[in-house]
Amino acid sequence: MSPNSDTPTAPDSVRTQDAPQAEVTVTLPANLHARPAGKLAQAAARFDSTIRLEHGGRTINPTGVLAVMGLGATTGTTVRITADGADAEAAVRSLADILANAE
Amino acid sequence: MNGSVGIVLVSHSAELATGLGALLAQIGSDTVPVVAAGGTDDGRIGTSYELIAKAITKADQGAGVIVLPDLGSSVLTTRTVLDDHPRTDVTVVDAPFVEGAVAAVVTAAAGGDLDAVITAAKEARDVPKL
Repeated sequence: MSPNSDTPTAPDSVRTQDAPQAEVTVTLPANLHARPAGKLAQAAARFDSTIRLEHGGRTINPTGVLAVMGLGATTGTTVRITADGADAEAAVRSLADILANAE
Repeated sequence: MNGSVGIVLVSHSAELATGLGALLAQIGSDTVPVVAAGGTDDGRIGTSYELIAKAITKADQGAGVIVLPDLGSSVLTTRTVLDDHPRTDVTVVDAPFVEGAVAAVVTAAAGGDLDAVITAAKEARDVPKL
């Protein structure tokens, strides 16, 4: 589990390290269904960093909308976002914001 | 920069094509031209050379167009249209109709070029639903 896994929502729990990496864990306020998955994939494509989404023991690249939907992540469960690269922190903040505000 | 890659949905059923188009509008973005070409000219189940040809023109913003057929004569009629009007930037793509269209529209909305959108649609076949 992530050291941030008890933190409920995204932006406050962003942690940056010496290397350009960032991660955040979000507790979903709603199922990760088609519409937020589409937003997430479009947002992920805007960053240069390598981004990963982890849920239920699976790790996927969030630029793939079908892979995001395939996680089957439901309300109240957690999704961990990690990113490596120059814009890692901005990437995890952006994606965490979408997940935390999904309806 | 040119506009978005366009997406044409070819189905035997007008309702199926327009319904998928409505779904894509929710998942993707209104910046991607998605045009449905379902059914015959007079609204029956089948495919229409004219509807497909017009849909390609309507979806074309200068960045290329992919055509996604559901099956059978949707593929054959699309091929006939493209054989009659060969263009390097208009391609019929072998992909699952719904999943391929969803992957394509998201990639196009994110600014992907024609090759990226084609790849996204094709890769949809290999992404598990569960």
